[in-house]
Amino acid sequence: MASGIKDKVAIIGMGCTTFGERWDQGPEDLMVDAFEEALADAGIERGQIEAAWMGNALDDINVGNSALPLAHALRLKSIPVSRVENMCATGSEALRAAAYAVAAGAVDFALALGVEKLKDTGYGGLPLRTKGLANDLWMPYGSAPGSFAQLAGAYAARHGIAAADLKRAMAHVSWKSHQNGALNAKAHLRKAVDMETILKAPMIADPLGLFDCCGVSDGAACAIVTTPDIARGLGVANPVTVKAVQLCASHGWETQYGAWDGSFVANTRQAARRAYAEAGIGNPRADLALTEVHDCFSITELVTMEDLGLADEGRASFDILDGRFDRGGAQPCQIDGGLKCFGHPVGASGLRMAYEVYTQLLGRAGARQREDVNLGLTHNLGGAPFNSVAAVSILGRMN
Amino acid sequence: MTNLPGRKAQDIGDRFIAAIGVYAPLLRMDRQAAAKALKFSGLGGRAAGRRAVAGWDEDALTLAVEAARGVAEAPDAVIFASTSAPFIERSHATLLAEALALGADTRTNDVAGSRRCAVAALLSTLLGRGEALVAAGEKRAAKAGGAQHLAYGDGGAAACVADQGAARLIGYSSASHDMVDLYASHEHPEPYAYEERFVRETAVAHILAPAIKAACAMADIASSSIAFAAVHEPLAGCWRDIARLTGVTAPNLAGDLAQSLGDLGAAHALFAFALACDKAKSGDRILLAGFGSGCDALVFEMTGAMPGAREAAASVNSGRAFDDYVRFLSLTGSIDLDWGVRSEFEQKAQATALERYGRDMIGFIGGRDKTGNVQFPKSRIPVRPDAVGPEPLEDVRLADLPARIVSVTADRLNFTPDPPFWFGLVQFENGARVMMEFTDADAKGFAVGDTVRMRLRIKSHDHKRGFRTYFWKAAPAQRPPIES
Repeated sequence: MASGIKDKVAIIGMGCTTFGERWDQGPEDLMVDAFEEALADAGIERGQIEAAWMGNALDDINVGNSALPLAHALRLKSIPVSRVENMCATGSEALRAAAYAVAAGAVDFALALGVEKLKDTGYGGLPLRTKGLANDLWMPYGSAPGSFAQLAGAYAARHGIAAADLKRAMAHVSWKSHQNGALNAKAHLRKAVDMETILKAPMIADPLGLFDCCGVSDGAACAIVTTPDIARGLGVANPVTVKAVQLCASHGWETQYGAWDGSFVANTRQAARRAYAEAGIGNPRADLALTEVHDCFSITELVTMEDLGLADEGRASFDILDGRFDRGGAQPCQIDGGLKCFGHPVGASGLRMAYEVYTQLLGRAGARQREDVNLGLTHNLGGAPFNSVAAVSILGRMN
Repeated sequence: MTNLPGRKAQDIGDRFIAAIGVYAPLLRMDRQAAAKALKFSGLGGRAAGRRAVAGWDEDALTLAVEAARGVAEAPDAVIFASTSAPFIERSHATLLAEALALGADTRTNDVAGSRRCAVAALLSTLLGRGEALVAAGEKRAAKAGGAQHLAYGDGGAAACVADQGAARLIGYSSASHDMVDLYASHEHPEPYAYEERFVRETAVAHILAPAIKAACAMADIASSSIAFAAVHEPLAGCWRDIARLTGVTAPNLAGDLAQSLGDLGAAHALFAFALACDKAKSGDRILLAGFGSGCDALVFEMTGAMPGAREAAASVNSGRAFDDYVRFLSLTGSIDLDWGVRSEFEQKAQATALERYGRDMIGFIGGRDKTGNVQFPKSRIPVRPDAVGPEPLEDVRLADLPARIVSVTADRLNFTPDPPFWFGLVQFENGARVMMEFTDADAKGFAVGDTVRMRLRIKSHDHKRGFRTYFWKAAPAQRPPIES
């Protein structure tokens, strides 16, 4: 019986660049900046890194394929370096690989780095296509907002919520994240936005308006992981450890079998169940101090609150409007500003979420620091609600 | 007036049109609005009525397929007729047979050459043997400002020819005559039209009237006994002279059709024939004539109600009128808007993938597993959660099944030549579900729970390589009546 990786892996250093339209930096600059921050944080020599995983989702249009761009940028000499890709869950996938390598005893120090350089490509969240193969013959290539917007209509239909009421709750999601992002020097969008502006914004994909959508950004984030024993040996008495890393991927049933009504993301529910079990969390509403979820769109965050068990089914919009997930609420969500304010450099986002939880766990979050942060959750969702990869990770202090 | 030598009635066996189908695209451009937009120039032609405008994802093939659905169950032969077929080398008749999921042993052939080609093909099948499906579709290019741009319309029509049916061929006549009223060529794809008075006088006196008279003579009937005419006029207003010269007193429904939908090219006479069948009662005689580089005139006697005729008549007055001339120019390819980076979308199709999956796609064939679950697309291991390994799946066609919307959105970020891009999850009544594109949105758009029907449309259009693939899209189950 597998015992999971709870407390078998410690995070001893993390780095994260400022996200945004980084016209001034290439992907190699972003990787170096994130890595140098993490390396300084970890207090080890670069030569001690024994294996590295690079998360990069859109190889053809930005950084380049394979993990060689990482090896070259960081001058990682003669160590195994691999690229991982799992759509928008890529960053979490890189962390998962590095954590597993340490937990397995294969290496003492491993690096997980996620990077995406979207602004060199004119990429604006538009759909990509395969190379003329089977799926192209039938599958609709809707945009990301188009794919996630469908959650809204289906959710409203299932729970009998008026479209205007749902829209207001969605607007609160974005309003709250903009409030938070304004406090974060590394965020792309650092401006508070009022509810009226959000509600009246131009429509992108019904009912998602401009402020219901996260932006397209450049950025990189990374983590250096080791064993708790080694961390203690380095002088970290109570290291941040990985409590759980779980992943769940669609096998096609949502759009091909049964009666899924389009109002929730089944993979998030499954990944969360496993993560709570791995981490030994019985009551996530009480046990988790904060969450960083995949708020690619406001409706995604709303639905995710229920999928993670943080709100009752059909009640997330009420909890959101009540302020439960605001910075000063009972269980803040996106206290760093989230994808909403960081944008979504696809391969980096999962590690950016982990960076915030790590920062909060270590009490380094400055103006946005919460008190008593013992456990935090990241949720990183790839694909679309109807065909997704959900990653749920839980980080906490060792003791 | 020219006289044609007569043929004898015994040349005809007992041959019938057994069923008919038509299709007009949703959108109808108001000609008066176009005239207003063109007022500065004095161009554009007649300002009355509307013309049917194909959506960006429709072409001559899809229009013909929509017309042909349900017209023939298992014909021996399929003939596709068009002067605006998208491919030069790739048979539309074969694509049409696959879209209707007909047997691979169906004989297929494409005809073209003039707008008479569909009626000519119909006559050939009436004079031949076996069951044949003749399907015509047109989406003809014309230059903005030219009279044809507004006079033309897009649409399809189809007929099943068999040894039994509702309309028996009782006489015919053909005239081959290279009178160049207009032409289009590879070098000049838009029509180049000559002097209208020359066309009227020559075509009526030397081509149409002689052929019609000869057909009536062969049928051994007085031309005045024709109840309804479906005669493709070279130009609007020719019918009065044709009637005067032939003695036919019946109304020509093809003239009304040109007014309400436009001149549908190869599909026009056949479409008008469907309207005539709707009005006719048993024993009535209908004159059908195709024109272009000559004429084929056919006389039928109705022996019963024509399947598909009532739906054909209803389709003329259902659709969505619009008066946006710039949208019309864009939909007809008269202006090439700069859609920006978002339109830089690779659309290349691979022949090998088409060979493996193409027939299931254009035929909308899913698979039923051993427990009865239907899925699309098929897969070696069924999607059913308790499936433990590969299973043979039984073919199930989804194209004709009712369905409803599970989730949907109007995507304004994604590129489409006629925004917004609607797509979502569709649930079929047999349990299958497919994430798919939507088309033909009406004013209220789509919502969760709406019922939809499937329409064959262009899926990908690779402008760079001049290739296109086809798949089915969800459209509203019903069309609204056109507001007057």
